[in-house]
Amino acid sequence: MLNYVLRRVVNMVVLLVVVSFVGFWIIQLPPGSILDVQINRLRQQGGNLPEAQIQALRERYGVDDPFLIKYWKWISRSVQGDFGTSFQTDQSVGERIFNRLGISLGLSLTALLFTWLVSIPIGVYSATHRYSIPDYVITFIQFLGLSIPGFLLALILLIVAAQLWNQPIGGLFSPQYADAPWSWGRFVDFVQHIWIAVVVLAVGATAGLTRVMRANLLDVLNMQYVQTARAKGLKEGIVIWKHAVRNAIHPLVMALGTLLPALVVGEALIAIILSMPTIGPLYLDALRTQDMYLAGTILVMLSALLLIGNLVADLLLAWVDPRVRLE
Amino acid sequence: MSESTTQTNSVAAALVSEDDVIRVQDLRLNFYTNLGVVRALNGVNFNIPRGKVLGVVGESGCGKSQTGLAIMQLTPSVGRYEAGQILFREFASKEPVDILKLDKNGPDMRKIRGNNISMIFQEPMTSLNPCYTVGAQIEEAILLHQTQDKTESRKRAIDILQKVGMPNPERIADSFPHQLSGGMRQRAMIAMALSCTPTLLIADEPTTALDVTTEAQILDLMRDLQNEIGTSIMFITHNLGVVAQMCDEVVVMYLGRVVERAMIDDLFYDPKHPYTIMLLRSIPRLGVNRDMRLESIKGSVPDPYSQVNGCPFHERCPSAIPGVCDTIMPDEIFVAGSQTHTVRCHLYT
Repeated sequence: MLNYVLRRVVNMVVLLVVVSFVGFWIIQLPPGSILDVQINRLRQQGGNLPEAQIQALRERYGVDDPFLIKYWKWISRSVQGDFGTSFQTDQSVGERIFNRLGISLGLSLTALLFTWLVSIPIGVYSATHRYSIPDYVITFIQFLGLSIPGFLLALILLIVAAQLWNQPIGGLFSPQYADAPWSWGRFVDFVQHIWIAVVVLAVGATAGLTRVMRANLLDVLNMQYVQTARAKGLKEGIVIWKHAVRNAIHPLVMALGTLLPALVVGEALIAIILSMPTIGPLYLDALRTQDMYLAGTILVMLSALLLIGNLVADLLLAWVDPRVRLE
Repeated sequence: MSESTTQTNSVAAALVSEDDVIRVQDLRLNFYTNLGVVRALNGVNFNIPRGKVLGVVGESGCGKSQTGLAIMQLTPSVGRYEAGQILFREFASKEPVDILKLDKNGPDMRKIRGNNISMIFQEPMTSLNPCYTVGAQIEEAILLHQTQDKTESRKRAIDILQKVGMPNPERIADSFPHQLSGGMRQRAMIAMALSCTPTLLIADEPTTALDVTTEAQILDLMRDLQNEIGTSIMFITHNLGVVAQMCDEVVVMYLGRVVERAMIDDLFYDPKHPYTIMLLRSIPRLGVNRDMRLESIKGSVPDPYSQVNGCPFHERCPSAIPGVCDTIMPDEIFVAGSQTHTVRCHLYT
């Protein structure tokens, strides 16, 4: 077990190095550089820029360095925890990312938890009451959830929350709580701000996983061991939850591996609509302005998330199903 | 229907001994499916005397498995009981209860399931839950019906595993089903079924999926345990060789009806119903001329969605009497001179 985890971690490190190299290479492929963006900005603000100053900036950013040197500068310092400085704001990349990454991760994990908490019971109900009216209603809502685009749902919910329920919307906190210490009022305010994002993020995955849960459980309910459990005299509830669901839950566990980074990336559009300070909009911006260190670091972070998610999913699966061997 | 039913019942009633574990009377079961109504059981009558092994034979779809499931009230939800009763008597001194009157998922029925009546299924590969250890699955039944004490249930589980001939019961108890062979899994199933020393064990083709050597071992084991514990067994199979080895009495079913019932020797040496006779002829035997073709029963079982007039076997029967067999349903009657042998055929009226 420990052996397996160690081996997986070593693999992950190798993979991350490859991803960072290829990613960094692709990010710097487009013509031009952050310098052009900066020069344009400075020119707009203060007219002409002396050639000497441009040269100084050029050296400072290392724009003319060959690719391998740029990569080495970035990766060697990143390993020590210094991800470089953002060209755009002169803030350290770490500082800019981690705050937002935390919010993104928190949001995604909440959405994932929401997905599971909703899709497992509903899927089970739907399977055990197949072809009943509630099952049809659930199926209908599922298809609605699958087909409605996230940004549209976000807009609709924003309108509903603001107009009908008079809730504060946009951002993470209302102004009066922005810098206040944590209190009950601040918490309620926080929940009021993020629930839309959680729901929108979770709705597609929930609809899909409910469907998967239903189909899987229907298969498992036909298995002989479910009949065996009934023949033992167990209550129907125990038969379903202890003997059937545990055998039907694999895809939901495996979904953890793929869902986590998908949620982190998927929130970009929604975060822009809800003006949430998460990683998605930052990533988009970094790519647009060719803020190489920032974009590269985010890419590596997201890859790491995917790999960690997969590892956790594999470990969970081995715990759920003893037939899975970690070798 | 009513007249023939009463008559059938009287014959069946004359046949039953005082101390029956199970008495099935005029059991009728229909399945309402999208394609139409399947008449699975059309008035099944039989009884299982205490401590005996009753074989139930017949080809696929004759209702033998459904009869077993009906006794456990595990019939699929599309099934409806149209008539009949299943009387279960735990002790000779206890009043019989009609199982079909109990709520399917109610506490009374759950107390009977696994405790008084337990069941072994055909597929040992899939009848144990892959997520739990063999020991945990056996203990589950013991904890449910017998004791609340975990160390005691563990001890009993290991005891019963030893009884079914597991070489290293502690290790087997901690194994998962996928780590065991088919024969071992069936032993584990038998251990689970017998863990609460049931009054009746329903074995639904328990050896069909096993190879011949393992089959012989499992049959020996069941016979030994039956002698030791005194459990009555309802042995459902399509294999007449297994019946000869295991059973005291035999019921032959065809299309949801019992067509013949006899003590084991009578069935093999003096079969009456043409269907039974043909079933026996279709078994290959040692010492018979090799060039002789094995007999088969011509035709096939009628479409389950249709209803057949008269004797359901008349279309395939070589001795069918035109005008009688295809119009009138024969009653279940005693074979002349016997108190135990019944047959449902116009040839013997």
